[in-house]
Parts: sequence; C-alpha cells; structure tokens
Amino acid sequence: MLNKYKPFSFLDRSVYIFSFIISFLILVPILGMILGNFGIEYKYFEFFSQNEFSGYTKNSLLIFFSVLLITFIIGTFSAYLVSFYEFPFVDFFKYSLLLSFAIPPYIFAYTLSGFFENYGTFYSILNYFFNEELTNNILPNIEPLFGSIISLSLTLFGYIFILTRSSFINQSRNLIEVGKNLGFTNFDIFFKIILPSARPAIVVGLSLVGMETLADFGTVSFFGISTFTTGIYNSWFIFDDLKTANFLSFLLLFFIFSLFTLESLSRKNLRFHNSLNSFRKKNEKITLKGTKKIMAFLFCFMIFFISFIFPLFQMIFWSFSFSNSINFQEVITLNLNSMKLIMLASTIIIFLSFFVNFGTRVLKSNFLTFFSNLSIAGYAIPGIVISVAIISFFSSLDNLLNLNVKSYFVGSLAGLIFGYVIRFYSISFNTIKTIYLKINKTIDDSALLLGFNKLKILKKIHLPLLKSNFIFAFILIAVEIIKELPITLILRPFNYETFSTKAFNMASNDLIEAASVPSLFIILWSSLLIILSIKFFLIDKK
Amino acid sequence: MLRLFLFFLIFSNFSLASEINLFTSRHYTSDVKLFEKFTHQTGIKVNVITGKSKVLEKRILEEGKNSKADILFLADAGALYSAQSKNLFTEIQSEKLKRKIPDSLRSKFWVGITKRSRIFFYNPSFLSQEEIRDISYEDLSDKKWYKAIAVRQSNNIYNQSLIASMLEHNGVQKTKKWLTEFVKNFARSPQGNDRAQILMVASGEAKLAIANSYYYALMLSGKKGIEQKKAAEKVLPIFPNQLNRGTHINISGAGILKFSKNKKNAEKFLEFLLTDEVQLDFCSNSFEHPIVNGIKVDSFLGKISNNFLEDTSINVSIYGKRQAEAFKLMKQAGWN
Repeated sequence: MLNKYKPFSFLDRSVYIFSFIISFLILVPILGMILGNFGIEYKYFEFFSQNEFSGYTKNSLLIFFSVLLITFIIGTFSAYLVSFYEFPFVDFFKYSLLLSFAIPPYIFAYTLSGFFENYGTFYSILNYFFNEELTNNILPNIEPLFGSIISLSLTLFGYIFILTRSSFINQSRNLIEVGKNLGFTNFDIFFKIILPSARPAIVVGLSLVGMETLADFGTVSFFGISTFTTGIYNSWFIFDDLKTANFLSFLLLFFIFSLFTLESLSRKNLRFHNSLNSFRKKNEKITLKGTKKIMAFLFCFMIFFISFIFPLFQMIFWSFSFSNSINFQEVITLNLNSMKLIMLASTIIIFLSFFVNFGTRVLKSNFLTFFSNLSIAGYAIPGIVISVAIISFFSSLDNLLNLNVKSYFVGSLAGLIFGYVIRFYSISFNTIKTIYLKINKTIDDSALLLGFNKLKILKKIHLPLLKSNFIFAFILIAVEIIKELPITLILRPFNYETFSTKAFNMASNDLIEAASVPSLFIILWSSLLIILSIKFFLIDKK
Repeated sequence: MLRLFLFFLIFSNFSLASEINLFTSRHYTSDVKLFEKFTHQTGIKVNVITGKSKVLEKRILEEGKNSKADILFLADAGALYSAQSKNLFTEIQSEKLKRKIPDSLRSKFWVGITKRSRIFFYNPSFLSQEEIRDISYEDLSDKKWYKAIAVRQSNNIYNQSLIASMLEHNGVQKTKKWLTEFVKNFARSPQGNDRAQILMVASGEAKLAIANSYYYALMLSGKKGIEQKKAAEKVLPIFPNQLNRGTHINISGAGILKFSKNKKNAEKFLEFLLTDEVQLDFCSNSFEHPIVNGIKVDSFLGKISNNFLEDTSINVSIYGKRQAEAFKLMKQAGWN
C-alpha cells in the first residue's frame, strides 16, 4: 500500500530484522523442544492412546469450553455494566473486579476445598450451631469437575474483563447512538453492536484464558481430574518419557492455534477501528434505576465476593491461625526479590512486544505477522515443560557454539528473566495488539503522506496513544510473574526465594495454611499495582 | 604489602567459598534449619535449589560437566532410582555411611536419609479392633471392604511404590487380580491428598484410609489447626503385614553427583544428616522415622509407634524399576 512510496528503506530493514530476531528468539526454545526432543516413544504413548487418551481429552475439552463460556459471560457482562451504566459502587467495581487476578487458580482451589472439606473452615463455623455428625452431613461436597471449572473461571475471567473494558472505553459512542436512533433495545445494542465491536479484545482474552486453562496442572490435579496435561506429567514423571510429553505438549499447541486461526479466518474482512474523534469523546453513562440498579450491583458484588473476598478471607483466617511461618527479615527480602524481577522482566517484555507489534503493523509483511503470531506459543504449554525447554535450549546453544552460555543463564537472574519473556510474551503481545488494532491505520497512512518516517510515527503517534495502555500489559505481566512457579523454581539462583516459591514449599508439605502468608503478599502486591495504575493512569479519565 | 593483602583477601575468600550446592525435592522449612546447623558446625555453606525431582534431574543432566550441583536429595526411592539410571551419581565411598544404613534402604550410589511408612488408618467407633487385627495390604481386596477404602489417585508416587512392592512380592498375575477387587472397594473416586483420606475415616465416610504416617502426625501436632487435631484424635493407625513381611517402607535419600566439585564436603554433609542428633530432628519436625540402625524413638506424639516390623526383604530401588509397570496395572484396573 502506502509503503510502496519508500520501498524497503534502511529503517524498514532494521525494524524487520529486529522484529524477526525477537520473535525468533522467543520461539526457538519452544521449537527446539518440539524438534529436538520430539517423537513418540513406545514407553508411554501406546499406553496413553489405549487407556487414557479419550478420557483425558474429554475432561480437557469439557473444562476448556466450560471455562471459556463462563469467563466470557462474567467477563464481558461485568465489563459492559461498569463501562456503560451508573449504579451504586460502580467506580469501585470498575477496578476491584480486576483483583481476582491476584489469586492463582490452584490457590482458589485450595481455599474452596479447605473451606468446604470435613473439619475445614465452614465446618468450624457450622459446628457452633450443630453437632459433628450433622455438620459433616450438611457440608456440601465439591464435585471435582465442578470445582476445577469454578476455580479456573473465577480466577481467569479478569483477562476478558480488563481487555473488553479497555476496548469499551475506546468504544465509539457514535455506534451506540446510531443504534439508539435506529430504535434498538439495550439488549440489541449489547449483542449487535457492543459485543461485535469488542470482538478482537474478547477473542484475545479468551485465547489467554484458554491457553492458561489447557496448561493448568495445579488445579485439576488437586481435584483429582485427569486432563491432557496429566498425560504430559504421567509421561515424564512416571514413564520417564520426555519425548511423548513434548509430543503431547505440541498437540495442545496445535489445538489452540487451530482454534484461533479459525476465529481469525472468520473475521478476515472485518475491521475494528475507532473513528478518530472517539478518543476524545466523553463516555456518558446511563443511570440505572429500580430493580435493574440492584441487579447490576448484586451481579458485580457476587462476582467480586466469590472471586476475591472469599479466598482472601480464607487466607487471612489461615494467616492468623497459623502465624509463625514467616519472619520479618524474610518478608523484606521476598519483597525486594519480587520487585526486582517484575521491574526488569516487564520492562523488557513490554518493550519487545511493542516493537514487534509496531514492526508487523508498519511493514505489513505477511511472513512477519505469521511468525510473530507463532511466537506467542509459550503460554499454552505447561510451565514445567517450558522450564525444561529453556534449559535444553541453552545446552544446545553451548554445543552448537562450543561455549558455556549455560552457566550464565541457568541459575541466574538473566536466565530467569529470559524464561519469563518466553512465557509471558504472549500476554503483552496480545494486549498491545488489541489496542493497536483499534488505532485506525489511516492515521499511519496520513502521517506517511505528511513525510513522517516510521520511527517518527512510532514516537509521535503510536507511543502517545498506547502509553497509558501499557499499564494493562504491565499489570497482567507483573501479576503473572509474582504467581509464576515452575520456571522460577528451576532457573533461579541458589537460595533465591520469591513469594510463589515460598508458597509452593509450604503447600507441597500439605501446609496450605502456612502458604497463606506468602500468598497474601502476592495478593497485596497485585492489588497495589492495580490501585497505583488507577491513580496514575486513570484509564477512563474524562 | 599490597600483594600480601591481596593474598589474604583471596585466601579468605577461599575459606568463605567452602560451600556445597544441594538440589532437593524436599520442601521442609525444618530442613533448612538443619542445613544452617551444618554450616554452624563445619563452616561449609549450603546453597539450596528446590524443585520437582524430574526437573532437577533434567537440569543436572543438561548441565553435564559444568553442573554446579553437588548433592541430589530426593523424596521417594523411585525418584532416586530414576536419577541413578541416568548415571548422575558417583559411588558412595564412605564406609561410615554404608554401615549406618540397612542394605535394603541404599544402593551403590545413594543412601536413605529418612524413612516413611505407608499404613492404614481407622476410626475405632466405626470399626472394632477385632476386625482389623493382623490386617495386610493383600486383605484389602476382600469383599468385606466393599466401598469402604479411602486412597488417593494412581498417579501418586507413594501408591505406585506400594504397588511396585506388591508386584515384587506377589507377582504380576496375583497383583493384577488383587487390583481389580481392590478398586471395587474404593469409598469414592480417588481425590485429595493423604490427609484428606484420613479425614474421610474420621468423619465415617470411609472405614479405612491408606496414607503415609507423617500426614497423621502433622494433624495430631496441631500444625493444621484445632479441628484437624480433634479429627486425627478420633483415628488410629495400624501397621499392616506385621505377621509376615512387614510394613511397606519408603525413603528420602541422597547421593553425591558425578560432576560434583566438592565431593569431600558433600560426603561430610551426608554423614551429618545421619548423625543421631539430626535423625532425631527429622523425627520431631517432619515426623519421619529414623533410618539409622539402633536409634530408638518411642513414638510420634504418643500415637505412632516407631517399633514395628518393616519390609526389608526387597531393596527400595525396586519401586523405581517397576514404577511404570505398577502404574499401568493400576490404571487398567480402573484406579483413576
């Protein structure tokens, strides 16, 4: 198109090469795992396909689609309510619904089961009123499949909420006004105008939820549900067959890519730009009255309560009941460690993913777009497999170059951050992409006509428009980093603890209660980041 | 003068640099305190990385000659066997170590450090002592236990080790048949950890639970709260197979790695873990049985005996050798 005017300048080439190198570096450890240690070994695969495949796949699909459906409903509907309507505490819910992010799915599973189990917290409460036998009979039994789906849905819907909401904020009011003028009901406006226009954001949110659900092991194994990921673990841990484990990981990847390729094909000819003036247009909200007001409030409150207050209170209760598990000095070190990791890693991840997004946008190269889309694969693979892929990557690099890169990266902060980049690149890349999609490409074209070069477009146009939205990516990454476990465990320097490694150590000795102190800090940090972002980057400033 | 100073600086650095790097799949906070004790006694610093056994194994394997790890300390004999089969360890030289540990609880490459037993639990208000006296693992396939047994999933390594030991003792055909009957006796589809099974027995939802002894001790200790303590007090442990081969025993164990640069210090460390004092520490913190011959601890919290007949007739390495085989049979019998 317009870049015909300046065919492949030096700048273009540099942007191209850098974008390519970044995508390549992120993709290579995953590719390396797939190609270098790939195959079907007799040891496990035959057994898996005969005895486990159908049952495990059924469970995986059931959980996958249920979680997608529930997170879609909760995420979009709550985002819709807080973005377009005025009702009691709406300003509070706008941000507090994000707090569910702070709870890792497996921690939610622990609290759910710790609350309802025999002789658990709920038991203690009921036992004040009833005798023991009656109490144990009243206690609801958490059905394992139901428990897994609820734990995953209520901790992951935040992706859809935050992305959809950021899309709603930039929603062009004109569309809604047009809808009203055409005599559409609110219901019609929601389903025919608002949802379709937020489609890229919803899809990206769903893809993040989907990838995390498929890669989850902690939650489902806690409830004793065997999924496809269980097969990956069994293959490696019981049959010592890493090849089949990698093959199964590859199938997971393949599944998720097929699904989202289908989606992107189906919206091939649709565009999702805002009209130019919608950025400035004030978003006037409709004030709800009567039953609607109460219903909207109750909906948001219920979600907030179950997804955040419930696990938070269970953990506070545990922290007080079992309060000798951590000391002050340790807490300071853990805070410093986590802060350092978040700052370093998220800056790097955001920079890299922004740059590649920019590159694919201005260069309009199909190859680069395809390649950069591939490089987000890291999120769909169980963390434990990625952690091994990274180690293998460094040792192949050593063999190839006859160096000793490994000692600099395995067991060091540099390696840890590299691991985070691979794992969480997709979050940042996708978040920036959704917002980028909403900036009308005609802006770029006009700027080119005005004689701006592409770097100038980046600096003068894209960056100012995207800047405040980087905070979305930052929150998402930061919270993920605080929660991240498998990569941190294996790549960290000696004696280097984070809140999640600390919580893991406690939890794996069946001392979930003691894990509540580090877990509370995970929540505290995440909440703090979210609150800070509200203060300094008030996202829908009028 | 400057040279002398530099020399001292380097020298003092060297003495500070006396350290060992430990890779472990055990996550006890109390273990860390023991390592500090070792540093205090010997001046050797212990650097720790914790993680899942297979991941640690893979890292050491990939690092090869450049590996910084000196010791691999793993919970479960099966995991030790797996690391051994990949040639990660060097042979144990110290006679002192060999002498202290019974033959069945060590190999050429590693030694057991602590011992755990996988035993039964019952609630005396639902099950008389008469009904459970002299019980064995083999008895659990009996129809009288129909829908009465609580046990966790088949992908749990403790269960795999138990079944591997039964395979070794009773052969494939018998174990296969036993598993088919045993699975019918499950009180519910297996889920939760060992403690959850004990709770099932406390509340009367199951008559008998299979769990490692230290989970019960953990509940009794009050570390899990007052309700769990009360629940545990309703329950009694029983050691199976006391009339024949003895109760199934598993270990946590450690070996010195082939490419370790501090083999002498590593050996010192293992010897330290097997001193009477440290063995007693393990007992009172993580509620594991002492492994060293001749150490006597009466009981944990007055409830779990340390004096019972143990199955010493097979080497614990068997659990690793037959792990996959055991798992296959468990799955085929319908143990989820």
